[in-house]
Amino acid sequence: MYDELHRLARRYMSRERKGHTLQTTALINEAYVRLVDQKNVHWANRSHFFAISAQIMRRILIDHARRHAYAKRGGGAQQVSLDEAATVTSTRSSDLLRLDEALKTLAEMDQRRSQVVELRYFGGLSNEEIAGVLNVSENTVTRDWNMARAWLYQQLTESAAN
Amino acid sequence: MSPERWQQISRIFKSAISLDGEARAAYVADKCGTDELLRSEVEKLLASHRQASAEGFIGGRAADDGAVLLVDEVEEQKAHLNKGQQLGAYLILDQLGAGGMGEVYLAKDSRLGRTVALKVLSPDISADKRRMRRFRQEAKVASSLNQPNILTIFESGEVEGLTFLATEFIDGETLREHLRHKRLEVAGTIDIAIQVLAALDAAHEARIVHRDIKPENVMIRHRDHLVKVLDFGLAKVTEKRSDALTGHNFSTEALTEFKTTPGVLMGTINYMSPEQARTLEVDERTDIWSVGVLLYEMVTGMMPFAGPTTSHTLVQIIEKEPPALTRMMEAPAELQRIIRKAMAKSPDERYQSAKDMALDLKNLRKQLDLGEVLARDDTDHTDNGSEKKRVLFVALVAMVAATAAIFAVNVWRASRARPSVIVPAATPVVADAERRLTYWITVQKFREGKYKDPYTVAGEINFEAHDQIRLNIRTPQAGYLYIISEGPRDGSAVPEFVILFPSPTANKGSSLLAPDQQIQIPEQSWFIFDTQEGVERLWLVFAEDAVTELETVKEFANKQAKGLITDMTQNKVVHDFLTSHSTEKPNAGKGDTLTTLTTSGKLLLYPVRLEHH
Repeated sequence: MYDELHRLARRYMSRERKGHTLQTTALINEAYVRLVDQKNVHWANRSHFFAISAQIMRRILIDHARRHAYAKRGGGAQQVSLDEAATVTSTRSSDLLRLDEALKTLAEMDQRRSQVVELRYFGGLSNEEIAGVLNVSENTVTRDWNMARAWLYQQLTESAAN
Repeated sequence: MSPERWQQISRIFKSAISLDGEARAAYVADKCGTDELLRSEVEKLLASHRQASAEGFIGGRAADDGAVLLVDEVEEQKAHLNKGQQLGAYLILDQLGAGGMGEVYLAKDSRLGRTVALKVLSPDISADKRRMRRFRQEAKVASSLNQPNILTIFESGEVEGLTFLATEFIDGETLREHLRHKRLEVAGTIDIAIQVLAALDAAHEARIVHRDIKPENVMIRHRDHLVKVLDFGLAKVTEKRSDALTGHNFSTEALTEFKTTPGVLMGTINYMSPEQARTLEVDERTDIWSVGVLLYEMVTGMMPFAGPTTSHTLVQIIEKEPPALTRMMEAPAELQRIIRKAMAKSPDERYQSAKDMALDLKNLRKQLDLGEVLARDDTDHTDNGSEKKRVLFVALVAMVAATAAIFAVNVWRASRARPSVIVPAATPVVADAERRLTYWITVQKFREGKYKDPYTVAGEINFEAHDQIRLNIRTPQAGYLYIISEGPRDGSAVPEFVILFPSPTANKGSSLLAPDQQIQIPEQSWFIFDTQEGVERLWLVFAEDAVTELETVKEFANKQAKGLITDMTQNKVVHDFLTSHSTEKPNAGKGDTLTTLTTSGKLLLYPVRLEHH
């Protein structure tokens, strides 16, 4: 099992050199384009701007993950090869989808904590900036993050086990 | 789970997290009483917390984690041609590169016997109307321009179901690659910019705005350093500026074009002009801006606007001045002026034409040849000496550039955001035997829905929710500084600590300060008081020698997000250190705008109390 993980990691890294940065850039671009496409949004301030970018990045990633998961299940026309890379990516796509679901559940119980996760993980913001966006202290953000992350982690491990 | 239950769990979790071992178990048991279910929920969550932080769960950025999903998607889209294969009249000799749009081959046109670069589009892109439009546009626009600094297009067409574009082949590299392995001489930099401007001048004459000038789109031929501007795929044919609507015309056209395929190297928003970033109408002056950015990068080796995320970068482009050039280079003052002018936020303040800018650069180039305007005092004229000097200079720039950028931005922000704030003068030199440090707090009160003008105070005053502050520190002597925030105790024995300074960005992660160094935290934004009342402490630790305990914790905390000490043992180390040294109180001399702390020992320790009601 351990060897297997190492092999996966190596393979992942070698792919990463090839496409990783480029892909990240592409995703960020996509987010940006969608952001500016929202003609009707009047950016109240930079906090608002950050909040919306995070939301958009989340939507884009989930869309990609969904498409990806669908293709890997055989929904797409192309043949699915069960090589390591495919395994890695399909794990990643399902992880992302489950994270998204869990985050939705969290939002129902605790809007602010789910927002902290969205801003930090999807929006790439620092705690300090999140504090600015949500108008709370940085310590509060830290505490929210700890709690939310622990809970999400728990949800994901539980749903993976089932 | 009901929101009430969740709140109940989170209250216990919040306090329990700062305790360890038995104390934690006891606390949880006490709070949960007979509610076994509650206790198991809390304990499960605490265990998850440990695991999640150990594994770095969602510790990175989603964009990086998700990027791998796109790799497959992109790879499936490529057309593949092999060496020796014939495509219409073209014989494939070699593959030169690949991008999201397709692949580029070195090929021989058998009709004319000339070597060409053959760009072949992926089949799925050929099926995409919008991208095909872009492709045809590139062919049409570039072939209408006949200028030595613009890549010549020979032919575009379709053969065997593949769409292709044949252009002249340049045996060279892109400016991006060039910059990667070579630092340019000032003269070389100017030569490149002049040629890019010549290309743009021809395009602008034909009312074509390139809109995507960046190092990836500028090629330099190995043989003679001839510059070629590529990729008119985003170019736009404009009205004459005087006819065009200016200002408020909201157009996202330029930007929606960026929505090509994942993986297309359109990735760079760093060269966008403020009007592009704002999605306003653009004209040829947007290209002038981009050449300014290009020059800036060639000279300093850094992009003037580069934030951690796209949004940061855009905000910078729109509202921030780039890090001051003078801090980072020894380029002639005239070159700095030219760059500043090209990068004026308002198009009206920029060079109004590529010709004008090129003219200034050409004049400067001439002066440089005459050796007239070197800003620095170049007294050492022996070949050997100036060579040495240059090497040293290059090394220095490389070393200083990164920090200088951050620093300069801060200085700029500080000076711009709060013009009314007077920075206290340096404190006098102190005797060896004592430790001394001055601090002051910049405050912006939040009243009636608005932030008031910032001002400085010497120390502790009462704050209200939403007020924001920054802590400034200056040390007259060298020493090791640590700033640690202590959160409210929430009734638990050990409060939560966060290492605020040094951070990976502040002072490059080092706690060592030079004499008279001044720092500000947070580096870029503010501490904002929330609605939760109470006292927070910012502990200042200033020592003659590095503090072993804190260095260890710092190493750990700096790897965590924003200095948070997620490990309870380490959190306790900080707690114990502060408690055991708190007995030796420094003398605090309060002035009007600053406080001076002095102690006779080797270690100064002082809590800045921030009360808010």
